[in-house]
Amino acid sequence: MVLDNMEKNSLASLQKTMMAFLLKGETIIEKSIVKQGNVSNKTRLNIYKNAYQARLKEVIDNDHPILGMYLGDDLFDEMVSGYIDYSPSNCTSLRDYANQLPLFLTKQKPFSLHPIISEIAQFERLLLDAFDAEDAKRYTKDELQKLSPSDWLALTFRFHPSVQLTSFEWNCVESWQALKKETAPDPAIKQTNNWLLWRNPERLTQFRSLNEEEVVLIRMILNGEDFSALCEYLYNRTTDQDVSILALNYINSWLDDGILRSFS
Amino acid sequence: MWVVLLVRSDQRGGNTSSAVNNALPEHFLGFGLGLRTDHFQEVIDTKPPVDWFEVVSENFMVNGGKPKHYLHSIRELYPMVMHGVSLSIGSTDPLNKAYLNQLKVLVNELQPEWVSDHLCWTGAHQVNSHDLLPMPYNNEALDHIVDRISHVQDYLGQPILMENVSSYITYVESEMTEWEFLNEVAKRSGCYILLDINNIYVSARNHNFSAQDYLNGIDKDKVRQFHLAGHTDYGDYVIDTHDHDVADPVWTLYKAALERFGLMSTMIERDDNIPPLQDLIAELNIAKRIAQNTLNYGVR
Repeated sequence: MVLDNMEKNSLASLQKTMMAFLLKGETIIEKSIVKQGNVSNKTRLNIYKNAYQARLKEVIDNDHPILGMYLGDDLFDEMVSGYIDYSPSNCTSLRDYANQLPLFLTKQKPFSLHPIISEIAQFERLLLDAFDAEDAKRYTKDELQKLSPSDWLALTFRFHPSVQLTSFEWNCVESWQALKKETAPDPAIKQTNNWLLWRNPERLTQFRSLNEEEVVLIRMILNGEDFSALCEYLYNRTTDQDVSILALNYINSWLDDGILRSFS
Repeated sequence: MWVVLLVRSDQRGGNTSSAVNNALPEHFLGFGLGLRTDHFQEVIDTKPPVDWFEVVSENFMVNGGKPKHYLHSIRELYPMVMHGVSLSIGSTDPLNKAYLNQLKVLVNELQPEWVSDHLCWTGAHQVNSHDLLPMPYNNEALDHIVDRISHVQDYLGQPILMENVSSYITYVESEMTEWEFLNEVAKRSGCYILLDINNIYVSARNHNFSAQDYLNGIDKDKVRQFHLAGHTDYGDYVIDTHDHDVADPVWTLYKAALERFGLMSTMIERDDNIPPLQDLIAELNIAKRIAQNTLNYGVR
């Protein structure tokens, strides 16, 4: 096994040349491999290279099943190989490997020519974020009912850590839903739309669309504004309703969804 | 005189095994399985007769949600050990402090019986291959790894277990056998050894060495756990795929390992093509029977 007549690499140099092989296909590492039996060094090294690419492909496949259906096998494979070249993993957990995929899809042709593709990828990443976000106790109607009238005006809410507020420019979520039901999606249509994603108390990931009014209210809460500010915003928009009832309707729907975080 | 000892049965939901042997090693946990997503709910619902579960540490380095919920629910029922794949103990990159911190947080949450990872490197220059890449077996690598294991053990406050990986290449830089290297790492760092029986078989085939020589070369007192797994045999070479049942030659080698090291905490590591839980339990029962027959170890 010891070959004194060959130049030997330091550990750092050996690791550098092995990574260059895995990432770029550079073959300098072959000089550091002992020839053994009937199996060529190229075959031996390719076991590692194939495993590297197969593992990363499997991650993207698992994280983005509907994106894969939208693209079809050939384009999906093109996306995967492009992303593996574009974004070598710098994370310890494969859970995070494809975090940059939506960004990649906005930059790389032919995907960048169809912005809905990046949006579908982004939607699937937000579902993952909601799925394993931090746990937290949820705000309940009982807690709300214990508030004294004087507490209400300065009351501020916080959202459960799984809550994701997002907006898209294309009908990506509707396309995602159609494919999930194994039906053909509509053609891509440009339409600004807002969505809320979260993990419900049964630990299932949920999402629903939002109107402009609710988006503003949620953003106000995220900015730390209190209940009186929410009511003031609603007052300026509404003429025919008691704004406190309207605000309470929103709060009740958020409590039913389980998206508010408990103060206790 | 035979003495009936209950193997930590007070901690073990669903456990049915009682050992009839007065020489059970203190570190013996019994026969375990790798905990896999497909089986989470069934484990909670049926509390199957598995002595312990091994969890892949990185799979639970998330903040919350279903994975953590199931993990903690199952931890209440079974002893666990943590098995990592990203420590990259042989890398020339600095030790990843953020990763070590996540590992320690999980250790504190789970209170596992022990923590293990692999005698390998997984990346360099801040790029992770997510593969268990083999080390050159020489003194430079030895000094490097011993120093890093010492740091990790100091940080975690406990000795860790290092597992032999399967490999397909041998570097010209190697100056000793893998088992000499592994033994020296354990001796100098104070870590213990997780001996993967399938990996020994795979590497022995790929590098044409004697698997028995490997077993004979490992210090008896340093081994704390066995892994069993399946592989794919391509004739001229073998790949460690973890997607098949344990192969017959690996069962034979397991018997030889029991003869050398005695009764050992043993688990089956299945990572792909995951079968029903009952199939894995049936396979685990093969491991139990081999241990019974080889060591006169009894399960009531």
